[in-house]
Amino acid sequence: MGIDFKDITALQSAVYAAFILFFLTTIVFIWFTVVYIKKKGFGNPDDSNLYIDCAYFQEVGKRPSQQDSVFISPLGDYKKYGITALVADGMGGMEFGGDISEKVADFVEQMCPLSFFATEQNADELRKLSNTLYDEYNLSGGSTLAMVHISENYMNYYSVGDSDIILVRDGVPTILNPRQNYMTLLIKNLCRNNKQTQQAYSNPKSRALIDFMGNKNPRVIYTKKPIRIFDGDKIIVSSDGLTDAVPLRLFHHYIKDNATATAVELKRAVASRKRPKQDNYTAIIFTVKRSLL
Amino acid sequence: MIENYILMHKGGQEEYRDSVFVNYSSALTIALLYLPSEEEFSVADEAAVSALVQGSSKMRFTDLSESIYPILTNLKNYMLIRIDDKYINIERHGRVYAYIVQNGELKMLPNGMTSLEDGDRVICCTGEFMRSLNDIAILSDAVISDSAEEWMDNLVCRISDRNRLSEGNLTAVTMIVRSGD
Repeated sequence: MGIDFKDITALQSAVYAAFILFFLTTIVFIWFTVVYIKKKGFGNPDDSNLYIDCAYFQEVGKRPSQQDSVFISPLGDYKKYGITALVADGMGGMEFGGDISEKVADFVEQMCPLSFFATEQNADELRKLSNTLYDEYNLSGGSTLAMVHISENYMNYYSVGDSDIILVRDGVPTILNPRQNYMTLLIKNLCRNNKQTQQAYSNPKSRALIDFMGNKNPRVIYTKKPIRIFDGDKIIVSSDGLTDAVPLRLFHHYIKDNATATAVELKRAVASRKRPKQDNYTAIIFTVKRSLL
Repeated sequence: MIENYILMHKGGQEEYRDSVFVNYSSALTIALLYLPSEEEFSVADEAAVSALVQGSSKMRFTDLSESIYPILTNLKNYMLIRIDDKYINIERHGRVYAYIVQNGELKMLPNGMTSLEDGDRVICCTGEFMRSLNDIAILSDAVISDSAEEWMDNLVCRISDRNRLSEGNLTAVTMIVRSGD
């Protein structure tokens, strides 16, 4: 019985056709699955893993030197320790503002990896640093501190002074941390007396800081319990040079899907304002996305 | 123990019209009435609600609710709350809101009973108070605050940034469960 080469050729063609069909079906299935997961999420959202996309910018503005400092922990350590990001804004007009902000950033770098659940101890370490800076500089300078620690689906934050930690959810930006300035005291007192608060805003000293790094025993604001973060959230840690130039209500024009594009847009927005007394401006931007893996 | 702080601010109005009635006993009982300018609440009814809340220590929550309902039947926006360090019971009508901070999120409390744990933070407020706030702001101020008073102060600063406290009456209660105390 001889071999019919026509049958073999037909068989080969059928196998090739089946293989191509299988390949195309697999591609289409994967494509639909990815689209579905991106739209609807995967399984129980409580169990979803998030990943972080990060970018930052730092510009001098109209000041003679850069007094803002930045620290971002290595993204490679994200799975193990989460990510820590800090902006320290040296107080303008003071001799050692830049030095102190650098020291704050260096200290946070040494503190890393931070324990995510030991927020009280971490805040205490920062307060002790401030006391050391107070002894060294005797109030000839100071710095703010705005720091986030993101791990899995949660975020802690720490704050001293008036730098901003902004959470953008569903396109709505919210400043998370209260500003520690004289205005907050005035508002509190006016409210206690059942009064309106216009005069708190017109007081020339209202923006003076009542707490800062370099002060003796400053109040370090920190989250006692972490805040849940979700797919699509954007987190911006910035000096007030950003939010003074670009009001929060306009942020939605500049928020994009990825961190780099948002950083580019925000930086461009500040520059385009051409403010004659533009402060140094620094921002770290995170976008939170759901991991498909 | 329930640590609490009550805000009753007239805002930009001539007078404070909302009402808050509180009974501090083993459980904290609160009647919170939100009275926009178009709604009237007579002095006699106010006295009746006050007397009921003051005498409610040994009343079941449902009995209090049933007793108070005929007096408040013409009001659209009010809330009854009873809270101890294990449970909160709520009956909410109209534009008054109750939220709890749980698992890093702010969740609206449903009518009825919800169990509580040490450190839980709860806020009950009027629609006017909520108008200048959002969930994230309330949550963030809750998780950084050492006390119910500080939480309220931070929220008031946010409202002030929006409207200088120049609009309607502001009424809210912030509460923190302190089981260990």
